[in-house]
Amino acid sequence: MAAPEVHHLFHHPIADHSFSQDRKTLAIARENNVELYGRVGNAFKLKQELKSHDKLVTSVDIAPNSGRIVSCSQDRNAFVWEPTPEGYQPTLVLLRINRAATFVRWAPSENKFAVGSGDRAIAVCYFEDENNWWVSKHLKKPFRSTVTTVSWHPNSVLLAAGSTDAHARVLSSFIKNVDARPEPGVWGERLPFNTVCGEYLNNSAGWVHSVAFSPSGDALAFAAHDSSITVVYPNGPDQPPKAIVSVNTQLLPFMSLIWNGEAEIIAAGYDCEAFRFKGGPQGWQLAGTLESKGRPGLGDAREESALNMFRQMDLKGKVKDDTQLKTVHQNTINTVRAYETSGDSVTKFSTSGVDGRVVIWHT
Amino acid sequence: MSIIQQHTSASLSDAWRTINIDALLEDSTQNFDVSTLHPPLPETSESEVRQLAGQVRQLLRGGDAEGALRGCLEFPVYNGEHLAKEAHLQTVIEVLQSIKASEMTPMLQRIYGTQGGSECLDVLMKYLYKGMASASGGSGSAPRTPSRMTPQQTGFSQMGGRAHTATESAGAAMSVLLSWHEKVVEVAGQGCIVRTMTDWRKV
Repeated sequence: MAAPEVHHLFHHPIADHSFSQDRKTLAIARENNVELYGRVGNAFKLKQELKSHDKLVTSVDIAPNSGRIVSCSQDRNAFVWEPTPEGYQPTLVLLRINRAATFVRWAPSENKFAVGSGDRAIAVCYFEDENNWWVSKHLKKPFRSTVTTVSWHPNSVLLAAGSTDAHARVLSSFIKNVDARPEPGVWGERLPFNTVCGEYLNNSAGWVHSVAFSPSGDALAFAAHDSSITVVYPNGPDQPPKAIVSVNTQLLPFMSLIWNGEAEIIAAGYDCEAFRFKGGPQGWQLAGTLESKGRPGLGDAREESALNMFRQMDLKGKVKDDTQLKTVHQNTINTVRAYETSGDSVTKFSTSGVDGRVVIWHT
Repeated sequence: MSIIQQHTSASLSDAWRTINIDALLEDSTQNFDVSTLHPPLPETSESEVRQLAGQVRQLLRGGDAEGALRGCLEFPVYNGEHLAKEAHLQTVIEVLQSIKASEMTPMLQRIYGTQGGSECLDVLMKYLYKGMASASGGSGSAPRTPSRMTPQQTGFSQMGGRAHTATESAGAAMSVLLSWHEKVVEVAGQGCIVRTMTDWRKV
C-alpha cells in the first residue's frame, strides 16, 4: 500500500473539505471563510478566499460537473459560488432557518442541494428561473433535534439525514419541475416531498454523526456517537427492513463514513485514523485500520545519539518525544470523502480534521 | 442609516441573551417528551429483581461465577422502581466482589467473545459507574438511598471520615470497581465508556 499524501495546510481545524472533479482545486472551510487551494506540483497553495459568511463556516461542497461551490455557516446562511471569468460570484440562498446551518451537500443531479440545520429541519434548495434565485423547501417532520448530516441517494430524490435525536432517516425531497419522477425502489414507490421512507435507531441510540447510501442506494449506513456503525437493508415500502446490522466497536466514535463498493465501509473519527469495515446483510465486522503502523520517518528514524538523549532529558525531562500521535492525523478526523473512484469502488479517499491536515489515502 | 431605529436600554444591554427561547417555541425539545423518541422498555419489579438475585447467589455458591455475572448482566434493570434498580446494583457488586482478580480478564474475554457479549460488558460498565456514583459501595445488603451520598463540605472531612469502618469498606468496594473498570476497558475498549455515556437506557 502506497504511503498517504499528507497536506498540512495550517494549524486550525478544518470543518469540511471538498475537491473539484479534476482534483486541482481544494475547498476548505476555515473559520468564517472558504479557502480555495490550487495544486502546485505536489503541494496545495492558497489561491483565493471566499468571504461572505460572518460566522463559522460549517460545511462546503463543490459540484463535480458545474463547478459551483455551496457553503453554509452558523450565521444561518448558505451561498452558492458561481465560477465566472472574474472569479467566484456569491449568491445568497434564502434558507429561512433561525438556527445554525450545519451541513450541506449537492444532489448528484446538481440542480439542488440540502442544508441541515439546528432548526430541526433540512432546507432543500433549488434554483427558480422566474425569480432568478435559490429558494428552499423545508423538510421539518419528523426531526426532533439538530440535523447533523445529510447524504444523497444516487437518484437525487431520496435524502438520508442523521440527527442528534439519535435517528437516521430517509426522506423524499422530490420537487416538481426540478426532479424527474424516480423509479420505484426498495425505499418506496410514490415519493411526494417529505415522505418518510424509514426511521432507524440502534440499541444504545447515540446521536448520529454521519450517514451514507451504498453505491446502489439500496442500503444505508450510519455512524453514531456510541462508537458504532449501523447498516440498514430495507425490504420494500412499508415493510420492516430485511436486516439492521450494528457493529459496536472498541474504538472512539466515528465522525464520517463512506462506502467502498457494497461490501466495505471506511469510517474515521475521534481515533484520528481511518478504519475499514467489511460485511453484508448477514453481518459486518471491523477489518482493521488503514494506517500502516510503524511507518518510518515519524520520529523513530531520528538518530539516537548520546548527546541528543541527554539534551532531551535536560530540556524535557524525558528521552522519548511522546507528544505526537502515531497516526498521520494528529487530531479528530471530521470528514471522509471519496477522492478517486472506479465504478462503484473507491481507489483513493481524502480525510480532513481538527489538526488542519488534508490526507489522501489509498484504499 | 442604521436598521435599528431606536436604542433603548433594553436593546443595548445583553440581558435578552439570557431569554430561553426554547421555552417559547411550541415544538422545541423543551416542550416535547424526549422519551417518546425511543421504544419503551419492559418494566422490572423489585420482586423480579430479588428472584434473580436469589438465582445469581445460587450460581455463586455453586462456584459458577461466570454464569452468575452473565446472569445479572443479561437482565439489566432499565425501567423500574428506584429500589429495584438499587437492589440489582447490589447483586452485581456482590458478584464482582466474589470474583478473584486473576480471573477477571479471562472471564471478560470469554464473555466478550460470545454472542451479545459486547452488550453485556456495556451493561457491566454502566453498573461500575453507577456503583462509583453511589460511593457507599456494596458490602452491606441494605439498599442505599441517595441521602447517604451527602457531599462533604471540605476536603478535611475526608480525613475525619477515615476513622469510620463504613468508609473503609466503601473504599474497598471502590477499589474493586476501579480494578474491574480497568479490566473492562482493556477488553471492550474506550467504546464501552462512550456507550455508557451516550446510552439512553440508564441502569
